[in-house]
Amino acid sequence: MHSPSTAACPRQWVRGAASLAVLMALLCGTAVRAHEIGTTRVSVLFQEGRTYDIEIVTDATSLAEKLEVSAGRSLPTDASAARLQSLLASADGTFRRRVKIAFDASEVRPAIAYSVVPPVDASSAAAATIRLTGEIPPGARRFSWSFAWTFASYAMTVRSAASENPATEWLEGGQTSAPFALTSPAPPVDRLTTARRYLALGFTHIVPKGLDHMLFVLGIYLLSGRARSVLWQVSAFTVAHSITLGLSMYGLVTVSPRIVEPLIALSIAYVAIENIFLSELKSWRVALVFAFGLLHGMGFAGALKELGLPRSEFVTALVTFNVGVEAGQLAVIGAAFMLVGWYCANRGWYRSRVVVPASMLIACTAVYWTIERLSF
Amino acid sequence: MMPTLFSSSTLRRVGLVAVAVVAVSRVPLFAHDMWMEPTTFSPDAGQIIGVRLRVGQDLLGDPLPRNSGLVNQFVVVDAEGRKPVIGRDGSDPAGFVRAAVPGVLVIGYHSNPSPVELAAEKFNQYLKEEGLDAIAAQRARRNETGASAHEIFSRCAKSLVLSGLPSDTQGDRRLGFTLELVAEKNPYALRAGQDLPVQLTYENRPLEGALVVAMNRQNPAEKLTARTGRDGRVKFRLRPGGMWLVKAVHMVPAPAGTKADWASYWASLTFETRAANASGN
Repeated sequence: MHSPSTAACPRQWVRGAASLAVLMALLCGTAVRAHEIGTTRVSVLFQEGRTYDIEIVTDATSLAEKLEVSAGRSLPTDASAARLQSLLASADGTFRRRVKIAFDASEVRPAIAYSVVPPVDASSAAAATIRLTGEIPPGARRFSWSFAWTFASYAMTVRSAASENPATEWLEGGQTSAPFALTSPAPPVDRLTTARRYLALGFTHIVPKGLDHMLFVLGIYLLSGRARSVLWQVSAFTVAHSITLGLSMYGLVTVSPRIVEPLIALSIAYVAIENIFLSELKSWRVALVFAFGLLHGMGFAGALKELGLPRSEFVTALVTFNVGVEAGQLAVIGAAFMLVGWYCANRGWYRSRVVVPASMLIACTAVYWTIERLSF
Repeated sequence: MMPTLFSSSTLRRVGLVAVAVVAVSRVPLFAHDMWMEPTTFSPDAGQIIGVRLRVGQDLLGDPLPRNSGLVNQFVVVDAEGRKPVIGRDGSDPAGFVRAAVPGVLVIGYHSNPSPVELAAEKFNQYLKEEGLDAIAAQRARRNETGASAHEIFSRCAKSLVLSGLPSDTQGDRRLGFTLELVAEKNPYALRAGQDLPVQLTYENRPLEGALVVAMNRQNPAEKLTARTGRDGRVKFRLRPGGMWLVKAVHMVPAPAGTKADWASYWASLTFETRAANASGN
């Protein structure tokens, strides 16, 4: 489940969710593949068995059209994000009529917040994020859901902060979900458990999941065989990504992944290309690595938001995730040193046979990622 | 055959609201239209057009991102020939085409079949709404009216886009889709008082007796309907301005081995009419 501060990037989610949905559908076989999957995505989070937090990400224009026409008004002509958001908020009563949240057999009335972000380019659409929140009735055993504002199939993901694996159910528009069994309120997660879990999540976000971050760290390592060079750059990178990770998680900095992700790829390309022409650490290289670290921190924040943070141990989770990320980076550097550094960093052919070819490979990969992330 | 006008223009607003409420209340029904809405129907030369797929009812639709598992054909035909419509899986718009040469671009999307099981009541209602009387009669003869139905459905959507000035010599082209609507005059070159003849073909042969419906984006409540004649043709007098959707559904017994009772094909054709070159109804 995503925190409110992530509301600035639902367009990316719509695209990401749709891509993921298509991928999952392909993997799950014909029963799901055959369905016409839309861009709507629903995430349900039960917080420690006491509250529910449901997020709907959907195409803002098509939802606003249905709401307006259902309410007896004409189709909206001004499709600006602000106008769409205002339309959605003003049609709250109409919206509620076709959304059902039930615990056992009783429907509950959630608090609803609507937000719309504008399209990122001429060919894309404004995305609406609708958050429905409230308290789970004491003693409730089962949850069910229906959302009748879409004609296409969509995936509903249900998870609780304590569980590792979310449950996903595919629903047609208007279809009521199968009853979801609620566990009894989980005891508050203790600090040590949280720290261990987020330390591991931070580490695995780099190794093995974060190939782009791994290549960036390798780019830093390859500049020079000297420990001083690695130390300065890694320190600058760490300080920088810690700053933006923290600021992003507290909602003080919000930049769309549409901007951040291509820039991260570009930063990897830059570092790798510079390695080909530079063999000594320069002060401006440290400054640049610091700037790139700010970008990577926002990328880490995006991943951490996807994972979700327990409210009771927010700071612990944030800090340990960052430490895990750091450990992952050091593991990459350690592995690179063990593989090539200790043996050949001082050899005459180290640059020509290791640094330059490896940097070229990293640069090519990163340029490809940059183009891919900018595409469509 | 000439169209029937469902509601008068004076009732337009009331009709719009009524049909929208009906449309939205039908959300749980699985028989939805599918059509294409290009990002523009009048691109400049060289312009890239996003091809959006939409599924819904009465032109209230949801985006359908590209799903390579469903794409059987996704093509564009212009004066230079037939080309695939490119796009990335999971993306909306589902594809992109370039208006490389002036003239009409015919964009086509033919999906692979999707299975669906419908309860008897829903299936019967859907047969009625789509004018599939022969299938309803067949079910009645077999005493199956009260039975649920296993169906596979395929989409056969087309869209006409005009780059440059309209001409009588350009227009729609046959793409060879299983069920296909073909505009027999260029809708962008229609003059005041002219009808648009449309032919419906099934497996490249004219299909007789099928219900064809036309509706305009500005007022989907005001539907034009007609049954195809022996030559598979209908004619519509289209109100100028805005996007038009012409649609038809055809159903046949499902081929052996599909584990379905029926196979349906959903043809759609979208284009724009312009205020300057078409007459009102």
